[in-house]
Amino acid sequence: MIRLQNIEKVYRTDTVETLAINGINLDIAKGEFLSIMGPSGCGKSTLLNIMGLLDEPSKGSIRIADQDITRFSDQQLAKFRNQKLGFIFQSYHLINDLQVLDNVELPLLYRSGSAKERRELATEALAKVGLSNRIKHFPTQLSGGQRQRVAIARAIVGRPQIILADEPTGNLDSAMGNEIMDILISLNKNDGTTIVMVTHDENMAHKTHRLVRLFDGSQVQ
Amino acid sequence: MFKHLFKLIWNKRKQNFLFLSEILVSFLVIFAVFSLLTFYYLNYMLPKGFESERVWSVSYSRNAKTNNIDSLNIFYENVRRSLKALPEIEELSFTSANFPYSNSHSTTGFTYKGKEMSPINNYVVEDDYNKVLGMQLLEGRWFNKEDINQRSVVINSTLKQAMFGDEPAAGKIVGADNEEEKWKVIGVTADVKAEGDYWPAGKSFYKRLDTGSFRWVGHILLKVSPKADAAFESRLSKLLARIIQNSNTEIQHMEDTRESKNSDTVIPMIICITVAGFLIINVALGLFGVLWYNISQRRGEIGLRRAIGATGSSVSFQLVSESLLLATLSIILGSFFALQFPLLNVFNVAASVYIIALLLSIAFIYLLVIFCSLYPGKQAAAIHPAVALHEE
Ligand SMILES: Nc1ncnc2c1ncn2[C@@H]1O[C@H](COP(=O)(O)OP(=O)(O)OP(=O)(O)O)[C@@H](O)[C@H]1O
Ligand SMILES: [Mg+2]
Repeated sequence: MIRLQNIEKVYRTDTVETLAINGINLDIAKGEFLSIMGPSGCGKSTLLNIMGLLDEPSKGSIRIADQDITRFSDQQLAKFRNQKLGFIFQSYHLINDLQVLDNVELPLLYRSGSAKERRELATEALAKVGLSNRIKHFPTQLSGGQRQRVAIARAIVGRPQIILADEPTGNLDSAMGNEIMDILISLNKNDGTTIVMVTHDENMAHKTHRLVRLFDGSQVQ
Repeated sequence: MFKHLFKLIWNKRKQNFLFLSEILVSFLVIFAVFSLLTFYYLNYMLPKGFESERVWSVSYSRNAKTNNIDSLNIFYENVRRSLKALPEIEELSFTSANFPYSNSHSTTGFTYKGKEMSPINNYVVEDDYNKVLGMQLLEGRWFNKEDINQRSVVINSTLKQAMFGDEPAAGKIVGADNEEEKWKVIGVTADVKAEGDYWPAGKSFYKRLDTGSFRWVGHILLKVSPKADAAFESRLSKLLARIIQNSNTEIQHMEDTRESKNSDTVIPMIICITVAGFLIINVALGLFGVLWYNISQRRGEIGLRRAIGATGSSVSFQLVSESLLLATLSIILGSFFALQFPLLNVFNVAASVYIIALLLSIAFIYLLVIFCSLYPGKQAAAIHPAVALHEE
């Protein structure tokens, strides 16, 4: 599903060059649930951003969903992200000025489709994460766990093949974290969604199919 | 997407209030300035209606030695003959004080068939007045000897339109519905912009100066030949001093008074435009700052939108659209106020002036908002999604 070959990422600022990713090769199968662990600053988020086509590698090639995206234009990349990928972030990134339902509909606004369809899909996605009774709330009126569930609903509303989650439980206590983890596991099991998750929590990582450890931009396991 | 943006704006109404009211206030100011400019421009485009070149006005104040009408008539006939004898003087007419650009007004008014006609400029002039000013007759005739002791009147085109529309006016009897005093229209003359090039002619009534009125008349208009120079002017001045004794005569060139009359309009107009210009620059900077701040506050949202499928250009399009939507709300509100002017006929100005000013103001505000939001929008498009999502 995702194939990374010899990925290297160098960040250049005026004074320093940081080698954030160094020669990563990774094959992720369709339907796999993979977790990535490593100390802070080792390049986990950078790697996930590269898989998510939010950042370009300095070297190497990426194939996602059997497509070579190296030569994609800005527009093609945006369309690809919209249709194939779903993102979940540690800090949720909900739009506080929009109600839960509108937040979940967001990815569908960048596709064709009627308002009614959008409403139906978003309601359905919210039901999946158990938030049917909160659709008119604003994000600030929700707990952290609820917010992350809204973010998951937003990630799955467009039925993507791949979900990329960057420390989805990082801001939550373990009970809430487990709830989120259960949702992800069931998405993976029932819908066959491929999931790549960055985590700091060994317990969470052990619930996934495979664990990749990074250290200083390189894969150590 | 439109509904989505609307929701976003509505939910942020508190933050957007400042932006909205800023645009509303500038819209109203711009509307006022454009109304004024449109009013002046439309008037300026109308013909002047007469020739002010080589027209001199002579004003005299005479402490009359006699009030005897006959001796006054003889006296003024003498003045007239002496002036006419000068080869440099082509035409002349005694006139009431309210000749063009004179800063003097005399108005009358009446109700005609239930329609209020006042104010009507009331000119009292002689048979050659139209020749001195090169006025254009549209219908009927100007005064002549036939009109002695007749209640004849020449009206201008504006008054004719107001009273008779497209029907011919010559021969009609006019005057207040309820009064005895009636006048017979003998001719219609083209509008004369007597208040300067930027003001409308208004409605005008020309009456014949009859010989009994010389007591109070104090002005003569002269059409001089191209040969009339400064030397002639001083000769004329001396001559007048001699024949109209004990008088302070003053000669003015109508071109000069026209210019000063026009600057009375143009200078305040320039001040007004300058003040409004500064205001707009301030508003533009303010809008720019608000939008810029807005974008820095919304980096996370922008990063997210990019992640879920927005291109850079659709992000910048969204931000420009939000500003335009806000501007539209202000414009709708502002237009509601602006439309009261033509609806209530404020200042008695044609509705078309306000409508043109309204359209210009709308276009101006949209251009201003587009101008102020294009660059912040472009900056937003350049925000790197990975970086923006990484903050917080
Ligand atoms: N935009 C950037 N410009 C310069 N350097 C960057 C940038 N983003 C990340 N880095 C650097 O790249 C390295 C990897 O960063 P990354 O965010 O991938 O770490 P991480 O493993 O996700 O850490 P954490 O667990 O704290 O989230 C770090 O040294 C970081 O300073
Ligand atoms: Mg990270």
